[in-house]
Amino acid sequence: MRLGYDERSAALLVAPVLGVLLVVAAFPIVYSFWVSLHDIVLTRPLRRPFVGFDNYLRIFDDARFWTAVSRTTVYTLVCVVATTLLAVLVALLLNEVFPGQRLLSALLLVPWATPSVVNGLMWKWIYDPTYGLLNGLLVQVGLLERYRVWLSDPDITLLLIANAAIWKQMPLAALLMIVTMKAIPEDLYRAARVDGANVWQRFVHVTLPALRPGLMLVLVYETMISIRHFDLFLIMTQGGPGDASLTLSWLIYVETFRSLRFGTGAAMSYILAITTFALSWAVIRFLGKRI
Amino acid sequence: MARITCAALTKKYGDVVAVDALDLEIAHGEFMVLLGPSGCGKTTTLNMIAGLEEISAGRLSFDDAEVTWTPPHRREVAMVFQSYALYPNKTVRENIASPLPLRRQPAAAIDSAVAAAAAQLEITHLLDRRPNELSGGQRQRVALGRAIVRNPAVFLMDGPLSNLDATLRLSMRGLIKRLHQDLKSTFVYVTHDQAEAMTLADRIAVMRGGLIQQLDTPEGIYERPANLFVAGFLGSPPINLIEGVMAGGAFSRGGWRLALPNPPADGRSVTLGLRPEDVMVAAPGLARLDARVELVSPLGSETHLDVVAEGGLKLTLRVPKEWRAAVGDQIGFGIDPARLHLFDRASELRL
Ligand SMILES: Nc1ncnc2c1ncn2[C@@H]1O[C@H](COP(=O)(O)OP(=O)(O)O)[C@@H](O)[C@H]1O
Ligand SMILES: [Mg+2]
Repeated sequence: MRLGYDERSAALLVAPVLGVLLVVAAFPIVYSFWVSLHDIVLTRPLRRPFVGFDNYLRIFDDARFWTAVSRTTVYTLVCVVATTLLAVLVALLLNEVFPGQRLLSALLLVPWATPSVVNGLMWKWIYDPTYGLLNGLLVQVGLLERYRVWLSDPDITLLLIANAAIWKQMPLAALLMIVTMKAIPEDLYRAARVDGANVWQRFVHVTLPALRPGLMLVLVYETMISIRHFDLFLIMTQGGPGDASLTLSWLIYVETFRSLRFGTGAAMSYILAITTFALSWAVIRFLGKRI
Repeated sequence: MARITCAALTKKYGDVVAVDALDLEIAHGEFMVLLGPSGCGKTTTLNMIAGLEEISAGRLSFDDAEVTWTPPHRREVAMVFQSYALYPNKTVRENIASPLPLRRQPAAAIDSAVAAAAAQLEITHLLDRRPNELSGGQRQRVALGRAIVRNPAVFLMDGPLSNLDATLRLSMRGLIKRLHQDLKSTFVYVTHDQAEAMTLADRIAVMRGGLIQQLDTPEGIYERPANLFVAGFLGSPPINLIEGVMAGGAFSRGGWRLALPNPPADGRSVTLGLRPEDVMVAAPGLARLDARVELVSPLGSETHLDVVAEGGLKLTLRVPKEWRAAVGDQIGFGIDPARLHLFDRASELRL
């Protein structure tokens, strides 16, 4: 079939966008895969032999990689679970009518609108061992005797960073929950009350089922972004202390841009990307039916 | 069963008085319809009876027990909503059973109660579906089933048929009426549809602006409307309202005079109400109205005529289908003065 005038001009109009997409999306995907199959080390730029899947095998033998996997798992779990729970709680609160409710709803968006680097710097200051708000507050209230070097405590570093991340990404999730809650017909709650359902039963039987699609979206979205968080680690801890906050994204950065081993770096990126994809798929596939 | 007594029942939202000192006594097993235009306070009244809306002032009693502050689930009421209000994630079976587990009954009892309700409503074949797989009429049957299983003393229904199409509304009306006859519970039914009110009710409370305008049987409301609002709200096509004055013991408008039985004092400004069906062929002993036909609307079972009488008076009349009127015909109609309604123009009350 020949293309008509309309189809041809349409193709012509779409072509520039397709071109841009090819350059900025398709090319890096393909090229980084090509890189991951070669032993490319930038200190020896002229030697780049093809090594097949050796880079991947080498990564699986690398103790740092498994440390990073476990750190990333903990960090992502904390971020996703806390963000989701907090979002539902905040939405339940802001869905009620009380004085100041509109102001609070507006304020809710401030962390979300804060650029992530600014957010990282802000929390770094809050956690600061000498001038930090957290130390000041806790000491003044009497919960703490003397100032602590928060981010240097390997037991809580990851949680402190997660806290900064949750602070920033919870509002959007909460907003989505509020919008969903507003769409639940009031009659459903009335019917449940006449049936004798208490507050908890009304939440379980009316609110929660209605939130299900929104919860799915939040779970998938938060998983996808938390697993790849980088800025906060760069600003706050650079993977430290020791390897306490060595996540996969940070390891990829170190491997690629500090050790200049582009081949293994690219291979790690591929592993992370595929994991993200698989996790999202699993969340949609299995949790989709359950929640 | 329960007798419901509303004593000066009042609901205020800030400065808005949604229901204004409403007095109403609903008898054991009565079918009471609250009828009125949108925003007149029907839903608010029903919600107060259900316990879903806090009562601002007044008293509410079921039989001889005051329930003003009793929470909804302890009032022995079941409610059916215009929006059906079914749990979207539960099956029909679970929806119908939903009031029961909350009341801790054995599983076998629940199963048989659900089966009985489903059989009564002819939805047994739908028990394993979910609400989004049902039509509007089927959904409302499920909602009725959920009300029936509780075996409540009082059924409260807020416009249950308003979201259905005309044919379905008619058959569901029959279903609800049969339900009332079978269950013999007290029904309080809210609607803005006069046909629903007329066909279902033992008594109708016509409401406006949070006040009851008239409380009577359907016949009483139709035959003896208490004021202009009630007269205008019931009847389709609506009653013809003709403004005039009393002169010499007769209603007078321009050159047209109509002698009335028991006429009010001369000089009084009045409004005459003429139901569209209350016209006949002109005959001796009847008052006469001459009019020219402007529009003929045959409905099959009857015919509606839009006519213009002397002085440019426009009326809509309902005549038997055998009348072969044509546009432009000049017709002499007969009116039985005993079937006319007379209202004071200032107070709008029936005279
Ligand atoms: N939650 C509310 N807040 C403020 N005003 C309300 C509320 N609910 C109802 N009203 C007002 O009360 C009046 C009666 O409402 P309603 O009982 O719903 O009327 P109906 O059911 O007869 O259409 C209306 O004027 C409505 O605007
Ligand atoms: Mg209403």
